[in-house]
Amino acid sequence: MLCEECRQKEATYTISVLVGDEVTTRHLCADCMAKMNMDLQNGDIKTLLSSILTAITGGAEEKTAPVPEIVCPRCQMTLSRFNKTGRLGCPKCYEAFREQLQPMLLRIHGRVTHAGRKPLDTQEAQQLRTRQEELTRQMEAAVAREDFETAALLRDQLRQLAREEDD
Amino acid sequence: MMNGNTVLSSRVRLARNFEDLPFDTADHPDHATMCIARTANALKLSGADRGFEFFRLQDMTQDRMQAMKEHHLISKDLMAHTDAAAVLIDFKNTLAIMMNEEDHLRIQAVTEGMSLRKAADRVFMVEDALSRQVNFAFDSQLGYLTACPTNTGTGMRASLLMHLPMLTRCKQMGDVGQIVAKVGLNIRGVYGEGSEALGNLYQVSNQVTLGRTEQENIATVEAVAQQLTEMENALREKTLLEHPAELEDTIYRAWGTMKYARLMPLPEFFRVWSDVRLGAAMGLVHVQPRLLDTLLEDMQDACLRDDAEAYLTGAALNEERAKRIRAILGE
Repeated sequence: MLCEECRQKEATYTISVLVGDEVTTRHLCADCMAKMNMDLQNGDIKTLLSSILTAITGGAEEKTAPVPEIVCPRCQMTLSRFNKTGRLGCPKCYEAFREQLQPMLLRIHGRVTHAGRKPLDTQEAQQLRTRQEELTRQMEAAVAREDFETAALLRDQLRQLAREEDD
Repeated sequence: MMNGNTVLSSRVRLARNFEDLPFDTADHPDHATMCIARTANALKLSGADRGFEFFRLQDMTQDRMQAMKEHHLISKDLMAHTDAAAVLIDFKNTLAIMMNEEDHLRIQAVTEGMSLRKAADRVFMVEDALSRQVNFAFDSQLGYLTACPTNTGTGMRASLLMHLPMLTRCKQMGDVGQIVAKVGLNIRGVYGEGSEALGNLYQVSNQVTLGRTEQENIATVEAVAQQLTEMENALREKTLLEHPAELEDTIYRAWGTMKYARLMPLPEFFRVWSDVRLGAAMGLVHVQPRLLDTLLEDMQDACLRDDAEAYLTGAALNEERAKRIRAILGE
């Protein structure tokens, strides 16, 4: 995870900041953590009054309300262990922790739905892809030599293939 | 050609996992073996195995391993579990399939200059060959499933190695980092610890892997690199116009050091390399920028040791480095 302050380095610290009755968790890198500590030492009263810092490195537990434990049925990875290490146990964990993962994925990527390549599961899908690639190459070549008539024909064929793929 | 002045190389890596194995194979020798056997087998069945050489990390010397890392063929994470890890590398040393890394497979291609599409085509070719024989963990909503949620989705990281000496000198890299982060990219120093970037070398890569296609990410990284190149070149021209003597002095001093030094410690090498590379790109020093780019990797500690087949340290290593640089540049 990236540091929430500078958004450049890996966050290695998790801090809980208490403002009023609300506890918010922030993830910071070593540099920003040091900077924050420095602000505190320099007597930034406002920060001092409004926040209680608990700096946690590595193995220490985070002091937040206890969350019910979830265990992956396949690899026995627990949610709390995942929260600590940031590594999932097996592909099945994505299903087991789906609810908890969604906000995390949204925070990291800004989206939660995949776009892009998919596995070539069937022979037909593979052939379709090869055909599409071939047509795309031909179309690009046609455009390059300014043969727009052929390019348009090839484009129509590609659209037809795309429709077949959706069916 | 303008990009060649700032972009040294392109790298695309793909993270893939077998759907029926736990991610962490390093702790389970059986799983680790299975992962290697499946990969090697699938590659063989696809007919794509010709041209690849297989290595187990446990059979390599530390220097050989480190040298491969310096050539960006294997990752630091792969070296973390030498017992389990293996790698298939093509004979041109541009394509690598790492096994039992953080993910079961990391397929990676490196190409010269700004050519991410070419690098991507290579890794996809390998992936296609493998996926005809094995099933990779995939979820219709989340895409390819990886050990770390930061790679979920495409599992693809597209990165460019960039030389940005003027942006660094003019203290623009902080701002650059913030701008780049806004479009879902990341920029960081390649060599050196913490915030310093030895040789003024940076890696620009996509941070986001979920919800953006491979092509979109490649296009974004290249567009940002293009922008950075323009900013860098503008600063280069401005400096040459306003302070020609200072700029030329820096470059020619570095060129002199590179050509005549008898002892070349690594930090100094990075410093003079950066100035000479800048001079070469600006046409002030007559040496091929590509030759300097090769030099950059070949003159790292482990590469030197591995090539010299001797455990050189301290002054002996610095002497060997200086000697080789002189030989390559032709004193």
